[in-house]
Amino acid sequence: MQTEIRDRPSFANIRVLLAPGDEIIAEADAMASMSSSIEMKTQWSGGFVKGVLKRLFGGESMFVNTFSTATGGELVLTQPFPGDIQCIELKGNTMFLQPGAFIACEPGVKLGLGWAGFRMLIAREGLFRLKVSGTGRIWFGAYGGIFQREIDSEYIVDSGHLVAYEPTVSIRIALAGGIFSSFFSGEGLVTRVNGPGRIYMQSRSFDGLAAWTNSHLY
Amino acid sequence: MPSSFSGGVFSDSLNGGRAGADIQLLPSGIAATCPDGEAFVIPYHGCDVEMGGYNGKMVFCRNADRSLTFFCDDRKFASALSLAALGTLDEQLNVQRKRQRGESRRSFVYSIAFLVSMLVLIVAGYFGIRAGANAAVLTLPTSVDVQIGETAMESMDLGGPQINDEVVVDALQSIVDRLAPAAAVEGMQFRVHVVDSPMVNAFALPGGNMVVYTGLIESAESPEQVAGVLAHEMSHATLRHGLQRIGQSLGIWAGLTLLIGDASGLMGAGADLFQAASINSYSRDHENEADLEGVRMLHAVAIDPAAMAKFFEILEEKHGDLPGIFSWISTHPDHASRIANIRASVGRLPPQDYRTLEIDWAEVKSHAHDHKQKPAQDL
Repeated sequence: MQTEIRDRPSFANIRVLLAPGDEIIAEADAMASMSSSIEMKTQWSGGFVKGVLKRLFGGESMFVNTFSTATGGELVLTQPFPGDIQCIELKGNTMFLQPGAFIACEPGVKLGLGWAGFRMLIAREGLFRLKVSGTGRIWFGAYGGIFQREIDSEYIVDSGHLVAYEPTVSIRIALAGGIFSSFFSGEGLVTRVNGPGRIYMQSRSFDGLAAWTNSHLY
Repeated sequence: MPSSFSGGVFSDSLNGGRAGADIQLLPSGIAATCPDGEAFVIPYHGCDVEMGGYNGKMVFCRNADRSLTFFCDDRKFASALSLAALGTLDEQLNVQRKRQRGESRRSFVYSIAFLVSMLVLIVAGYFGIRAGANAAVLTLPTSVDVQIGETAMESMDLGGPQINDEVVVDALQSIVDRLAPAAAVEGMQFRVHVVDSPMVNAFALPGGNMVVYTGLIESAESPEQVAGVLAHEMSHATLRHGLQRIGQSLGIWAGLTLLIGDASGLMGAGADLFQAASINSYSRDHENEADLEGVRMLHAVAIDPAAMAKFFEILEEKHGDLPGIFSWISTHPDHASRIANIRASVGRLPPQDYRTLEIDWAEVKSHAHDHKQKPAQDL
């Protein structure tokens, strides 16, 4: 299976060339176009209960679509908002994705839902996080550009910018500065992450977009 | 105790620098085997142990130059590691456990403190904003009330056409004109708009515009009873309840905006709140205040205030089962206690020689019922 992420970073999409026998699993509604030779099978994302939980708490669809072909074909996958898409390869390791980030994965990848805790809710990252593990490539999207950091000591990320991270990374929520500067700098609470591990961040945040839009509504 | 666990490896020799791994506790050291078969070993005697990760309980084992790191979040791994290393790592493990327990306790205390602080902040903020907004609103000139009321009057759906039947409109305006000298605010122009609708309702907008529905006129047995309603509604205007509600709504919005860090949408949102807050029902405190102020006004201009309580009773008896949008009294909760409060208030008033209103009420009701609809006129 050959894949290519095109139109980066603003309107990234994944072009997938499926050879006979290849399969790719994608978030429901991620397909933008496909060859008529490709078959799509819809199934619960990890079963009924897990599917409902992912919908309610993981920001993902209850269903995933599995695309396969007997003769080969092309498939284009995308995400609903403008921004970059990142591909990473799992080799038996695990990654946590923020709600709504998952786009597609190869069949060897297992999708699960993990409790993120109230501190992540306070950090506006959601009560739950998507847990991807196993072997194979996964694609996840972000609003804006994606940049990564390999961290081995404390690193600070503004709330709403963390997209994916390894489970070896510890996360604390803290004030951006003192009481005054935290409230009036516009930064408020920030996420203090500590390694070892890799984190992926998005250059824009949905909260920032919502606040900006709100300020221009009237 | 198991000796094989699921975990992972960080190593520069791996493509990408990391991989999942099967971690085994061997007599000689900790061994990690990656899915592609690559294997690593860290001897116990050169192993640095730390705890951390997403849950604070993940165990990290590093070699002396920290070029190789194994990690595992299995709950039994730390105990199994202690046994397999024959206690040589216990000192490090105990330090890490103690640190982890301390962090958990701190995190728990901070979380509780944060939640309690937020709760206190919200409650204190709510009451502080209410008090502050009321004080701020009352310093504004009454011309602000007039502008808001006029704007709301022009843009809102009254639920029916305005009527210009002189018998009806003049009768109500004459009641208002008699009440006006007793108003708590001087110079406020009170104007009555009559709307053809079966709704038994009336309301006041900031600045002195009042709307009375024909359904309410037809329900009243005497002009004094309608005078009670009008005195109540005029009191909402003179006590500036509409502006206070707007101020509180804006104040709460401002408080929330301060917390979430976006102040730029504040004024825009306020524009919507002006209209919504003007026509929403008043709080119970405001209703009680308007009742008492209305009784005072009626008494001051020698209209029997007992008629206000009487009209409440009639509405409750005749229209108590109507939905809120159709009945004036239904939009005013706990009317039984309000009737009692009004009667108690009336009982405390000094003696007064009440004069009846010189209005042919039967004719007014007849016109309200049978009027011919004509284009609205300014009253």
